[in-house]
Order: sequence, then C-alpha cells, then structure tokens
Amino acid sequence: MKRRKNDLIQLTILVLLGASVILSLVLPQLAQQQSEPQILSVSILIRDTDSSLWTNTRLGMEQAADELGAELRFLTLSAPNDAREQESLLQREMEGGADAAVIVPADPAALDVALTASPPSCPIVSMESPLKAAAGIVAPDPALLGENLAQALLEDWTAGPVLLLDTGGGINHSITARLEAAQSALLAADVPVAVRTCSIENLAAELDGLLTETGSQWVMTFDPSATLCAAEGKELLQLSVPLYGVGSTVQIISDLEQGEVAAVATWSDYAAGYLAIEQAVSAARGEAHTSAPLSFFILRGEDIYEPNNQKLLFPVTS
Amino acid sequence: MSIFRTFTKRVSAGYRKMSIQMVLSLSFTAVAVAGILLMGLSLIWRFSSTSQQMAAENSQRVLAQVNLNLDSYLRRMMRISDAVYYSVIKNTDLSGGNLTSAMNLLYEENRDDLVSIAAFDSHGDLVASVPLSSLKGDSRPEESAWFQAAMGNMENLHFSTPHVQNLFNDPDTPYRWVVSLSRHVQLTRDGSTENGVLLVDMSFVGIEQVCQDVDLASGGYLYVIDGDGEFIYHPRQQLIYAGLLEENNLVAASYPDGSHLETFQGQQRQVTVKTVGYTGWKLVGVVPTQDSDLPGLFLFGLSLLLFFIFLMAFLNFRISAYISDPIRRLEQSIKELESGRENVEIDEAGCYEIQRLSHTVRSMVSTMRHLMEDIIEQEGQKRRSELEVLQSQINPHFLYNTLDSVIWMTESGRQEEAIQMVTSLARLFRIALSRGNSMIPLADELEHARHYMTIQQIRYKNRFETKITAQPGTEGLYTLKLIVQPILENAIYHGMASAEDDGLISVTAYRQGDDLIIDVADNGLGMRPEVAASLLDENRPDVRTSGSGIGVRNVHQRIRLTFGPQYGLTILSEPDEGTLVRIRIPALNQDEAGRYQQEGPP
Repeated sequence: MKRRKNDLIQLTILVLLGASVILSLVLPQLAQQQSEPQILSVSILIRDTDSSLWTNTRLGMEQAADELGAELRFLTLSAPNDAREQESLLQREMEGGADAAVIVPADPAALDVALTASPPSCPIVSMESPLKAAAGIVAPDPALLGENLAQALLEDWTAGPVLLLDTGGGINHSITARLEAAQSALLAADVPVAVRTCSIENLAAELDGLLTETGSQWVMTFDPSATLCAAEGKELLQLSVPLYGVGSTVQIISDLEQGEVAAVATWSDYAAGYLAIEQAVSAARGEAHTSAPLSFFILRGEDIYEPNNQKLLFPVTS
Repeated sequence: MSIFRTFTKRVSAGYRKMSIQMVLSLSFTAVAVAGILLMGLSLIWRFSSTSQQMAAENSQRVLAQVNLNLDSYLRRMMRISDAVYYSVIKNTDLSGGNLTSAMNLLYEENRDDLVSIAAFDSHGDLVASVPLSSLKGDSRPEESAWFQAAMGNMENLHFSTPHVQNLFNDPDTPYRWVVSLSRHVQLTRDGSTENGVLLVDMSFVGIEQVCQDVDLASGGYLYVIDGDGEFIYHPRQQLIYAGLLEENNLVAASYPDGSHLETFQGQQRQVTVKTVGYTGWKLVGVVPTQDSDLPGLFLFGLSLLLFFIFLMAFLNFRISAYISDPIRRLEQSIKELESGRENVEIDEAGCYEIQRLSHTVRSMVSTMRHLMEDIIEQEGQKRRSELEVLQSQINPHFLYNTLDSVIWMTESGRQEEAIQMVTSLARLFRIALSRGNSMIPLADELEHARHYMTIQQIRYKNRFETKITAQPGTEGLYTLKLIVQPILENAIYHGMASAEDDGLISVTAYRQGDDLIIDVADNGLGMRPEVAASLLDENRPDVRTSGSGIGVRNVHQRIRLTFGPQYGLTILSEPDEGTLVRIRIPALNQDEAGRYQQEGPP
C-alpha cells in the first residue's frame, strides 16, 4: 500500500516536471508567434494630383512604417481636391483589405457623410481636417494657426485691406476654420479684410484681379497649395503685396527665402507623417493612442537657417 | 525560534512516516535540484557578465572600425583641403591668377563627397568657389561659425556640426545638409599675403554612409556627437529634431572613452564612447542591456533546468528503488513470517550491508525453524509417552481380573470354562499386541471385544448377553486399538452390576459419512446426564477402582490426542434406562490408518 502511494507520488512529480518542461518549451514558441507583429497595409490618400508637396511628410511616414512594420500605398487624385474620386479610392482600398488608411480629405464634410452611411472597415487617420469617423487626427489647431498667422501679418501691417483667400471651396473645414480665425483676429485689430473664394488652379491667374477688385495690399492663404500658387502668381505678375501663407515644402521655403512669401505658419511635415502612420498602426492593432494637435510655428525668411528651424524644415535623410 | 522548532518537528514526523525509498529519492532530488540551481545561477551570472563584456567588446570593436572609417573619410577631406591650400591657393597670386579652375579639378575628383569648395578673404568676400560662383545676397560668411572658428584659431582645421548650406545662389534650391571644414589660409595678392578662409563643404551623406548600417549587439545603434553633445549623426536624427524622440546625447558628451552603464527613460543600456581623433567628435554605441530576447532565453534556461531536474528526479527514483527494494522485500518476508506463513524465501540481494542483514535474518529464521521443529518433536514424543501411559493403564486391570477368574474356575473344577477363558485371553492378548501397532482393523477390535465379553460372561455367569455387530460399509476400516474394551468394562461394572440374566450389552459399528461410529449400549441402571457428562471431564480426580470411568476417559483422551478434538466419546444416559457410549473416530482405510500408525511406537 505504502509502495503504491510512493509510486503514485513519484509518478505525479515526474508528470508535473515533464509537463513543466514541455510547457516551458512550447510557451516561447507561442509567445514568439504572438509577438511577431503582422505587417500592416496602410493606404495614404492625399488630395493632390502629385505627392511632391508631401515629400517630407512621406519621409516621416516611411520612417514610421519601417519602425512599426507597415507597408504604405500612396494614392493621388487625377484632379486636385476631387472628393468623389477620393471617396471611391478610399472605398476601393478598404475593400482591397487595407489595414488602415491615412487620408487628407478633399471634402471633409462629404467624406463624413459617406463614412457615416457606410462605416469604414478599417481605422482611418485624418490629416489636416478632422473627420468624425477618424480614429485619429494629425493637424495643427486650425483656429490657433489662423490667429497666429494673422498676428504675424499684424506685426507688419501698416495700412490697407487684407485679402483672405478661401481655396477650400467651402468644403474644407480646416481651411475655413483657419480663415475665420485669421479674419476675426484682423477685424479685432480694426484691419479691413476681404474674403474671396478661389480655386487653386486659377489662383495664380486671378490673384491680380482679386487684389485690384478688393484694393487689398496684403494677401493671406491658408493651404500649402494655395500659398505656392499665390507665390507663383506674385512672381509671375511682379506683385509686391506681402503674402502670408501655410506650409513647409521646399518651394514654399524657397519663396520665403526669396521674399515672395512674408511669413508662413509651418510645422514639421516629417513629424506629421510619422505621427499619422503611428496612429494608424496603433489603431489597426487595437492599441491605445492619443491625438494631440500638431505643433506649428510662424516662420519668416530671415529665420529659415536658425539651427532649430533647419532641423524641422529640412529632414536629415539621405 | 518556535517556528523553526515546529518546522523541525513536522519534518521529523514526516520523516518517520516516510518509506526509505521516498526519503532517499526526495533527499537525493532536493540535493540535486539545489546543486543544479546553484550551478544554473552561477552560469546565468557568468553568462550575463560575459555577454555584457562581449557586448562592450563588440561595441568597442565596431566603434573602432567606424572610427577608422570616419577618420579616414575626414582625413581625406582634410587632404582635399590641404591640396586646395598648398597646391592651389599658395601657388596662385589672386591679382593675376584664378583659383577656380584648379579648385574645380579637385571638386570634380571628389564631387560625390563634396558640396562646394570656396575661398573667402578676411572680410568674408568670396574669392573663388566651385561649383557655384555667386553668393546669396543676404549671406554673411564672416558671421558664420565656421568662418569665425577658422579666423579665431588659425593653426587648426575646424569641422562644423551638420547644417543646411546657406551661401550660394542655387536655382534648384536643394537645401543640402553639409559639414563644413574650414581653415585659415594666406591668400597672395600682388605678392603680398593676406588672411583668408578656405571652406570645404562636405556632403552630410558621406558621413551618414560611414555611420549608417552599423549593427551593434541586441539591436543597438550608433550615433555621433560633437564635444558639446550636438548631433552629427543619429539613425533617427529627424525624429529627435522633430521632438518625437529623445536621446541622452548631452550626458554622453561627458563620458570618457570606454563602456558605461546608464539608465535612460527607464531602459538600462550599455553606452560605449570613442572619440574621433582630430575632430573631438564622439562615436557613441548604445546597446540595451535588457535584451528583447531575454524572456525567451529565460524560458529556454528554465526549460533546460526543469529537464535536468526531471532527469535527476527520474534517476534518483530509480536509484532509490534499486537501493530500497531489497530492504522492502526483506521487510515483506519478515511480515510474512510474522503472519505464520511457512517456507518464506528470504532473498539476499542489494548492497553489501543489506545482503548481510538478509543473510543474518535468514540464518535467524533457519535457527528458529530448527528450534520449532525440535519443540514439535519433543511435543510429539511427550504425547506418545502420554498415550503409552494411558494405554498401559488398561492392561493391569484386565489381566488381574481375568487371571483371578481362571484361578477361581480351575479351583472349582470348571475346566472347560477355564480353557475357554484362557483361550479367549490368549486371543485377546494377541490382538492387543498386534505387533505393536496402535491402529488395527475394526474387525480385530470387535473380535477383541467379543473375546473380552466371553471372558466377562464366564466371570459374571451369563447375567447378561452380548451382541456385537458391524454394519455393512465398515469392512476394511481401521480403528484405534483397544477403545471398545474399556467401555464394555465400564458397562459391565455400572450397567450390569444388578442385572438378573436380562442384561444386554450391544456393540454396533457403522459408518456415518466420513466417520466411523461404534455404539456401546447397555440396558443397565443408567445415570444422570450430569454424571455421564462428568465421566469425560479431564479435571475429574482419578479414582482408581474398576468402572470408575478412568478407562472411558482414557479412551476419550486417546482418540482426541490421535485424531483431534472433534472426535472422541459421547455418553447418553438416563437413570433406569441404560447408557449409550458413542465412539466417533474418522473412517480410515489401511493407507490412511498407516499415517496415524507412524505416531505409534516402532
């Protein structure tokens, strides 16, 4: 009886030890399988026809994708700000099995309606403009940006009305919010303003007419594309009105350096791109993430080569 | 202290309850586990310190290689600067000559690594430059750090930190990141010398190519800082510039060359620093000391440890069983001996001490067996002696009485009856002797009873009749010798004493199952049942008179001694009704009787 009990105890000990050995061998395999992150497919939908304006953003996105294990698909529109095409592209990407999407909405309101009617099958991170259905947003605070840009103009302002160009066609909330905030700040300072809607394609050509019509001696744009086009128009038409804009592309910085642009509200596109992919990947993996407004600053031509500004404006990448 | 005592008591109590195999296996396993753990911890400690040392050595080796490459790259740039200065500038008088073409040759030779080569006078005015030749309108070279460093320390060459070049008008506005190498030069103009600055802008890509793709252990990386901790190169430089990442560069700038342990943002890491000779830049190698594979390694180590414990436990259980099994078998044998089992085999196996113990127990058991056999033999002899004594108690009575009757008949002239009595006596003795056998055929016993009754009838003048019969089925059966005669004697003295020619004594032998029954009945006076029962009481005092019942009790004791307590006599009697004495013995054939015969005297 005692021998049988002893045998039973010994057998139990051996079985427990054997099970522990097997468990400790199997567990790392399971943990390894679980810990190996899946490569995510992230689609990037911008609202422009080419991605040259988004070079620095793209660099940040690629850095994040490399670090976080994602593959990026950059998609441009056949016409700038074509909301319907963008919507269908987004739909196609989601149906194609994209794990997440980063979008710069051409028409945030229309996209909001479409996404409310047909909820997205993957997390969406919005850049520039907020979206109700977005899992995250990467954009500077539009009202604060508009206000700060207006403050920069006020520092230089001597006399004359200011032309505020609405290139969002009334559908880009971000542009509208920036414009309205700038308008409020200018009006608060008793600066006369004139708001005009203009398409980006025609901006360079129409700028002179708009200035003449409104008698404006100052111009403000609230979108990188509009800033570029306005600067281009200024250069073409030899206009001397100070231009205040938004953006940090190489061309805008060059225009800033050459005096075509007086000041821009700018931010690190590299950081914006990195944060957008980081949020998209976190949302796709069901991880917690936070969306804070992107920090921006007002840059004048003489400050471009300040060491800290250099670091933000010109990504150190080969 | 009391807890320790309680623990000790519990261990002691547990130890007493445990089998030797369990004690051996558990203690062996505990010692083995302790040893393995100690060895495992020692190995882990050694492994950890060795891997740290190896990581440090690896970092130092890699840093040395990068340092070599970077130093080589920078020296090449310095050689270009030397070549421009000593071969071009020093040999050119600016009043009549031009530096540009010679500088352009050098630039073209090294265009992959260079962004520009330019010479400035002491006021910052451009003297010559390649590949671009016009300065930006707002550029102020004399205010630049590289210009002031060159003018401030004329003996040395100066390397700047990476910056975006901001000197020349470039229609492509490439905004190139460069590292500026500046030095003080002496320009010759109209035969006289004047101070100037030579600037060689190296492409940052060249430094990046030297430093990137450097693999350090455990996912470590390398970055380069200047003496103030300002970044020259970092694999995630732009993230740091954008404020999305932090690096411990300012602290690293204060480290001397060598390996250091630091904790940054909760992560412990090994930082190896090596200063790049001429520039004062520092190569910083960062290796996390908490390897991401650590849990996997830990589990693998644990698995190995558990496997060894499993192996040790298995071996210990087998070894302890090998040691303890002979002891257990010896214990089992002793238990069987205790329970009275005979022919218990005591195995002499196991190690020397256990073999000796088994041998000793075996010898002891053998001795005990011999002693027991001796005791049994002595008991048997004693019983045989008792039987002989009991048997010998019969003969004197009978012989005396018979001879007395023969004398009496001879004296009274009853020759015929005397002859018959003597004849019967002779036959009686012949059967009684039976060659010394204690077991005789039933027929002989009944013949013996018949002769005895013949003698007694002559003595008692036929006051009673005798009827002796053996029923079918009793043929060939054997019985203990002289068991009927004492009963008849008792019947005569008690039952027939007052008979008046109507006495009847019957002897009937018959078989009842496996038993042989011999009933001796008389129609005499009978007796009370308690008196009848007392006749067989062994504690009843002997009264040695004829028919005192001693003979009956002797027969009863002989039968029980020979065949066991289930056999013997039963006396059934009622006053004035007569007495029946029933003899019960086993029904034995000749062979079976032979076994009991051995009990008898030879």
